[in-house]
Amino acid sequence: MVRKDLSVDFLGVHFENPFCLSSSPVGNCYDMCAKCYDEGWGGIVFKTIGPADFLIDEVSPRFDALQKEGTPFVGFKNMEQIAEHSLEENLSDLRRLKKDYPNKVLIASIMGPTEKDWEELARLVTEAGADMIEMNLSCPQMTSHAMGSDVGTNPELCKAYCQAVKRGTDLPVLAKMTPNITDMVPVAKACLEGGADGISAINTIKSICNVDLNRKIGLPIINGKSSISGYSGKAVKPVALRFIQQLRTGIPGVPISGIGGIETWEDAAEFILLGSTTLQITTSVMQYGYRIIDDLKSGLEYYMEEQGVDSLEELVGVANENLIPAEDLDRDYKVFPHIDQDKCIGCGRCYISCYDGAHQAIVWDEEERKPSCDEDKCVGCHLCVLVCPVGAISKGKVVMKPGREGSPEEKAI
Amino acid sequence: MTQEYMKEMKPAYTMITIMEEAERCLLCHDAPCSQSCPAGTDPARFIRSVRFRNFKGAAETIRMNNAMGSVCARVCPTERYCEYGCSRTGIDKPIDIGGIQRFVTDFEERIGMVILEKGPAKGKKIAIIGSGPAGLQAAATLLTKGYDVDIYEKNDKAGGFLRTGIPEYRMPNHIVDVEVKRIEDLGAKIILGKEIGKDLSMDQLKKDYDAVLVAVGVGKPNILDMFNGNEYAVPAVTFLAEAKAKEGKVDLPDNALVIGGGDSAMDAATTLKVLGVQNVTCVTRKELVDFRASKEELETARAAGVTIVDGYAPSAVDGKVVTFKHRKLNSELKIEADLIVLAVGQSSEAGGLGLTMNKNEVGFEGYHAGDNVFAAGDITLGDKTVVYAVRKGKEAAEAIDEYLGGK
Ligand SMILES: Cc1cc2nc3c(=O)[nH]c(=O)nc-3n(C[C@H](O)[C@H](O)[C@H](O)COP(=O)(O)OP(=O)(O)OC[C@H]3O[C@@H](n4cnc5c(N)ncnc54)[C@H](O)[C@@H]3O)c2cc1C
Ligand SMILES: Cc1cc2nc3c(=O)[nH]c(=O)nc-3n(C[C@H](O)[C@H](O)[C@H](O)COP(=O)(O)O)c2cc1C
Ligand code: SF4
Ligand code: SF4
Ligand code: SF4
Repeated sequence: MVRKDLSVDFLGVHFENPFCLSSSPVGNCYDMCAKCYDEGWGGIVFKTIGPADFLIDEVSPRFDALQKEGTPFVGFKNMEQIAEHSLEENLSDLRRLKKDYPNKVLIASIMGPTEKDWEELARLVTEAGADMIEMNLSCPQMTSHAMGSDVGTNPELCKAYCQAVKRGTDLPVLAKMTPNITDMVPVAKACLEGGADGISAINTIKSICNVDLNRKIGLPIINGKSSISGYSGKAVKPVALRFIQQLRTGIPGVPISGIGGIETWEDAAEFILLGSTTLQITTSVMQYGYRIIDDLKSGLEYYMEEQGVDSLEELVGVANENLIPAEDLDRDYKVFPHIDQDKCIGCGRCYISCYDGAHQAIVWDEEERKPSCDEDKCVGCHLCVLVCPVGAISKGKVVMKPGREGSPEEKAI
Repeated sequence: MTQEYMKEMKPAYTMITIMEEAERCLLCHDAPCSQSCPAGTDPARFIRSVRFRNFKGAAETIRMNNAMGSVCARVCPTERYCEYGCSRTGIDKPIDIGGIQRFVTDFEERIGMVILEKGPAKGKKIAIIGSGPAGLQAAATLLTKGYDVDIYEKNDKAGGFLRTGIPEYRMPNHIVDVEVKRIEDLGAKIILGKEIGKDLSMDQLKKDYDAVLVAVGVGKPNILDMFNGNEYAVPAVTFLAEAKAKEGKVDLPDNALVIGGGDSAMDAATTLKVLGVQNVTCVTRKELVDFRASKEELETARAAGVTIVDGYAPSAVDGKVVTFKHRKLNSELKIEADLIVLAVGQSSEAGGLGLTMNKNEVGFEGYHAGDNVFAAGDITLGDKTVVYAVRKGKEAAEAIDEYLGGK
């Protein structure tokens, strides 16, 4: 049996493990947070708290999900804004949580329409006992355009709000980024200049998941209408990882709390390898419950053992240097697919995909129902590898393209 | 046809198909499957680990709760236990829990995972008589608690009925080897070819050890009186043990008759068929509606081509010709066969070791037989299955630990 120390230090705060709830309904009140801590999570980013006079009025229903074949939650769309509870209730929950769980990390997420509100909220949550503050600069479905992702695309405004928050607190501050932007780096830089200590990324992506074909309305339907709103869950993981990589190359060494589509320990490890020190999760908790922490922790511990590391911090960002600009990649060779005829069940999926979606390089033996590769036509794209349902196709022979220097044996394929 | 006998009948999952099966699981709250595993193997927990791609964690859950995890994965009558209450049945059919468990334990074996660890030494010694699943599980539990364990086994190989009873195509011997080796690596000393009560006395063991666990099973084959001295008749467990030890290379008759309707009858009949015997007829006293064999065994036998005749009991025998009478109807049946396999149950020899017995079961509740002697496995009250043997092995180990003051 393997037991590894999963603890990390992030912005001067000690987390017993890197797994936190991200700010959302999964950490919305004392009872939920207490259950979550009891089940073993390292920290919680409490549901975003707004100013006392900002009234939250939610729609019903408020979610939708993208489905593909038998998988019901490929991605998830929500139309929620920030905490529905009153400011006083939220602060009192924070106080109780800190008192009952002094060794667990409590992060207060805040959001306001003016510098004065940001500063005041920062002061209030600091007094309530939070260990850290996260600034929500990124909710894409606020009814006020002075808040949310409209703010998060404006570097000057973000900087000013960070400065305001820093006036109200001496706690470490995270700025939570919106992915609804081409380049996140200028905003993140502005936040750091304004005093933020680290970056959380990503919040949800503006989306329309599905349209009701008979009523011709996007989903969910609210009295005959719908809106563009935030997309999250497994489907956004590739987008989140891309932003995190760009942050780490644009601002070397920037401390990151990674968010977006984490469901398994493998997802978590990917976020860590690309530069996240802590991790935040919502959608998979909404789908499966806090209990997913068991396998996140156990899986990550076994991964640490396989990697021979005693501290997660040794893994943070080690993959960053292996992502380089497309123009710098080695284009001198190609890898032919290898088809294992014993594993092949003769479905012909590789043949169809190669013909209709690649280079007509799979030769199909109609009698035997067996594929083979015509190396004169094959470009080594490996579409066939990805479609084979039994994993019968893998990387095979490596060849240099005509006229290129170098030898196939040297290539790390 | 030994090739077919030597190969596991049920195909294994692949990395892709295991995820499909795990995805069928509804990840129930307060999961019914976990509530009904007699050994507490917690299927809901390990299926969830598979679903979240934590295969090592899944193996850990199984192994920590069940030292015979790879065995149970193959031979558990899951339809009666974990899969019985499976919520997925409300949609179509239960999750293949045994199949998922087999995938996970095969993975554990493939990567050479070591999960159980010996507890800090307590300086106390326990003797276990019998290396069937009950004895092996008790050994594992005691070792993790820090006891020293010696297992005495009268056969030349460990495993009890796993080794000698359940046919190779359901319970491969190499899996038994792996399970036994795991427990030896944990620190158990297995002394083969020593029969307690013959080669060594019970009194001696009681003196030499802090506690003695009797897990001798119910293994002595019964014979119907009319078959005494009949040269064509052989008990099912004797036939199955020979077939398994010789990897299927046994002399085969043209026609075989199996008498009995339990799991051993089905196993003997299917084994004969799989090995290539032309005609295998199985005659049982019970009627199919209240059949003792598990549904899966019955279906396997039928699929293999065994003819099953129910409701008839043997009334006379003349050499290789057996006469049966229907229990209710006025009907008679005569069958001539070159081999007559008697699957009419086994009895226990635990009485010879000083245990109070009531037929094949001990005459007391629980596991403590008096003095420093304990009992577990098929000889104790409760179901006679491998998974129950595991449960009883665990509980008996706990009882011993408590008796010795947990120190
Ligand atoms: C043909 C057959 C098929 C079966 N199929 C299934 C199945 O599919 N699923 C299932 O769950 N169960 C099945 N069972 C039942 C299962 O095998 C038993 O419930 C289980 O093995 C009981 O475990 P045990 O440890 O109590 O005893 P056993 O497995 O019987 O082991 C007892 C051991 O003690 C040894 N021993 C006995 N006396 C002495 C002595 N005096 N000194 C030293 N050693 C001694 C024996 O040699 C033996 O190795 C089957 C049984 C048979 C016979
Ligand atoms: C229903 C719902 C409500 C959310 N509310 C907030 C919020 O109040 N504040 C915030 O910073 N992010 C909020 N988010 C965004 C999440 O914290 C997170 O950044 C995003 O969902 C991506 O992570 P995931 O894929 O693990 O869900 C919300 C997300 C969802 C699904
Ligand atoms: S999930 Fe709970 S709160 Fe939401 S609609 Fe269903 S019952 Fe109501
Ligand atoms: S997709 Fe895979 S299984 Fe199907 S024909 Fe091609 S190699 Fe064979
Ligand atoms: S009862 Fe069935 S569906 Fe529910 S958790 Fe267990 S295996 Fe899965």
